Amino acid sequence: MEPAEILGVPDQATDEEIRAAYLRRVRECPPDRSPEEFERIRDAYETLCDPRRRLHHRLFSVDPTLSLAARFARHAPERRFVGPGPWLDVLKGQ
Amino acid sequence: MRQLIERGDHKAAVEQAKDIHRASRSGASEALLVDAYAARIEELRRRNLTLEAQALVDLVCKRYPSAKRRFAELPRAAQGRAPSLVDLVRPLADPMVDADKRLAIEQALQREVTDLSALASCETLPAAHPLRQAAAALDRAFTAVTSGPVAEEALLLPEVSHRSPLAAWKLLIKAIAAFHRGDDDACQQFLDRIKPDSAPARLVPPLQAMMRNQGTGCHPAAKALISVITSERAAFQRALDDLEQAFTSGRRSRILKAIRAAVQACEQSAPAQLESLRQHISIRAAAADLDPMKVRAAMGGPSRHDATFLQLFARAMEEARDPEKISLACHLWEEFKQAAVKEGWFAVNGAEAAALALRIAGLLQQLPDDLLQELQWSAEAKAKKTGETFSYLYPEQMYQRACALDPHPAAFSQWMQWAARRSDAQAERVAEAWHKLRSRDIEPLVHLLRATEARGAFKLALGYLTKTEQIDGLHAEVRDARFRILVKSALRHLERKKPHLAADDVGAGAALPQAQQGDRPAIVAALRTVTSAACGQTDAVDVARAEVEHALQSEGAAALLIFSLASASKQRAVQQRWPLGRPARRERSSMPMAVARVAVLCADVGVPLEVPRAWLTEVARQLTESQHLLDVVQLHVLGEAACQADHLELAYAASAAGLERGGATDPGFLFLRARSVILPEPDRCLVCASAAAELARHARETELVENAVELCRTLAGFDGALPLTLDQARDVLGREKAARKPPRGSHSGPSYDDLLGAPCQCAVCRRRRGEGVDPFEELDEEDDPFDMDIPPGMPPAIAEIFIEVAKEAAARGQSLEEFMADPLNEPPRPKRRRKKGRRW
Repeated sequence: MEPAEILGVPDQATDEEIRAAYLRRVRECPPDRSPEEFERIRDAYETLCDPRRRLHHRLFSVDPTLSLAARFARHAPERRFVGPGPWLDVLKGQ
Repeated sequence: MRQLIERGDHKAAVEQAKDIHRASRSGASEALLVDAYAARIEELRRRNLTLEAQALVDLVCKRYPSAKRRFAELPRAAQGRAPSLVDLVRPLADPMVDADKRLAIEQALQREVTDLSALASCETLPAAHPLRQAAAALDRAFTAVTSGPVAEEALLLPEVSHRSPLAAWKLLIKAIAAFHRGDDDACQQFLDRIKPDSAPARLVPPLQAMMRNQGTGCHPAAKALISVITSERAAFQRALDDLEQAFTSGRRSRILKAIRAAVQACEQSAPAQLESLRQHISIRAAAADLDPMKVRAAMGGPSRHDATFLQLFARAMEEARDPEKISLACHLWEEFKQAAVKEGWFAVNGAEAAALALRIAGLLQQLPDDLLQELQWSAEAKAKKTGETFSYLYPEQMYQRACALDPHPAAFSQWMQWAARRSDAQAERVAEAWHKLRSRDIEPLVHLLRATEARGAFKLALGYLTKTEQIDGLHAEVRDARFRILVKSALRHLERKKPHLAADDVGAGAALPQAQQGDRPAIVAALRTVTSAACGQTDAVDVARAEVEHALQSEGAAALLIFSLASASKQRAVQQRWPLGRPARRERSSMPMAVARVAVLCADVGVPLEVPRAWLTEVARQLTESQHLLDVVQLHVLGEAACQADHLELAYAASAAGLERGGATDPGFLFLRARSVILPEPDRCLVCASAAAELARHARETELVENAVELCRTLAGFDGALPLTLDQARDVLGREKAARKPPRGSHSGPSYDDLLGAPCQCAVCRRRRGEGVDPFEELDEEDDPFDMDIPPGMPPAIAEIFIEVAKEAAARGQSLEEFMADPLNEPPRPKRRRKKGRRW
């Protein structure tokens, strides 16, 4: 998962937005309650708040060994829009 | 009231009964009211207004529980055919419709309406009727929310109030929107607010089942809904998994088939990802050496070669860890840079371009020199023809580009490390370039200081030292550098027969505050002694020598220090004037301290210590008695001096004295112990060095770890240090502390068979251990062409000839039987030379 996704900020977020998002996420996942999640949040923050690390991450963090399923399946809609028909069939008891 | 009923005026009868019941509130009045309602319901039923009749039944049952049994006996079918929606809502066209009737109709609508479009177009109500307006708005919203993402504003639905009979629909629409957004909590909150008896409540179970990833136990229509909504992702996932397995299998036909299936699934469920999927497939196919045309055909078209593709391709080639592919990665990163700049990812001269240049330089370092040179030659030949530039094949150019675009210390540091591996001069040039661009960085100055001092350019070194002191006067490399450089400069001037310049250096050194620390006054005085001797100032020589003796409180130490300085500055006259003979008897007991102090002084200023072997032997003899006078630094330096002079007895004695002190210096003295037993006991040396490496690793002494591992590699080849645990290393330390006496004759040190494993059983090792060895064991299996048994009792020399002849027979194509029938059909050759590799 990308650092920006972990903190819930857009790719072009400002330093203030990143800092605010980090503090919010730490409040949600304090280290004493969810240490692993906190580690992820801290790593993500350290990557985003350092311009050099952020640049390095943007250029070189692409993982070519990641399986195709892990990379693409999440892009397929988990819940497909099927129109009103199948929903109305349930309502009409068909 | 009964009369009213009989007259058929049921509505008035109900009103009358209500008044009576309001006034008396008794069971009889309630029964009367229920009778009136029953008559009214019957009337509605007769008029085929069954829906209204049923709505009124429900209302009466809800308000008056006593009526439940009475109306329950009335079968639902008996209530008549289901009224049409048109009939149901018709009364609502009248603004003056009775409140109870309105309520009953609204309850029926809430419970029964599943066709919003029918209600929205119901002509029995005026077009502007709020119910038609609400139904139309809900119908549009429901279609939208089940067909694609919807903006929040579209879900406000101000036409539908929370009192509306269609309010449950509004909640359902919001729940579906939240469901598709993936906000299951919000979805559940909306579902919780839907009235259980409303029509939309029928969709609550399937929605909850989908949120919990359950599809069982639902109505067939609900199962169908769940399947159609959730099945596509699963199909795409399966197609991708199949493709992954196909790539793993390496079977080309299977891969191409899986590519076709994955692309098809992607087109259906995630068309926006199709281009990206094609790019990934292309790269995976390239890595699997598949025919690009076949892959392109299977994908239904080529993949787009944009910056994203090149970035991913370059990363994939990096991960391949193959020199050819790494060189391709360099080319791809260069192409990526150009494509990314073209696509507006970053500026051509930005920090990104610098990072890419640094990346390419780092990759080029991974290539073997011959391959890189070959690539550069072919690039040069191509450049001559096409005029193309191939700067990405030249690490120096890449580092230059990176540091010019983004002069960051990390970039310069990498460049300097690369240059240092090539030559000192190149590293010095890089440090100068670094210093020129970033004059406040201390790393290049320290490097220049070290480099110039190492090549004897002391004037330059002092210049860099001045600059370094201005930035950080307390830097570890800086604190004592000036005194050390002045001493070396003085020795150089003496060597070049410029004693007056040496005297200036000595004077400048003596004026430094550092010159007064520890035993340093002795070295200043010793330098004065040598300098005065070189100048022919006899009186000054005697005074200075007396100062040395006074500072060191030892004639022997003074003589040793002056001798070492004279040797370093090639002052033979001084060496001949005060030669180092056998130490005087009265001096012998203080020899360890004297030699240790001089060794520390010489190490401090980087002057080689010249100690006669007889002195070292005497020090080793006396060390047991006087070791308590020496601190651990002196013991360590003494041990180092002993190792330098190959005096392993003294090295062992120093290690024993150091190990006895215990504490943080244990790893260092254990390493000294390892070096002191390298010749007589190489296995013990390996164990001690391995244990020292482990202890040093635990204490984070990286330099000691490197040295210990290097020694292990010297002994055990590439395997290096033994894989000892920390406890095992501590055990070794304990055993070595107990072994105070050096190995001598039959007396050997601790046994480490438990750590070394079973001893090697090859003939060579067994012979080394003094074990009996069968002479035929040394013959390789390949030496025996027929895999035959050597006759017992055959002398080794004869056996060797026998094997030689057998080999020749096998080379001629003879079988074992033919050979054994006439083993000596060829004249025996002279005794063959043993293989070089078998010698020890």
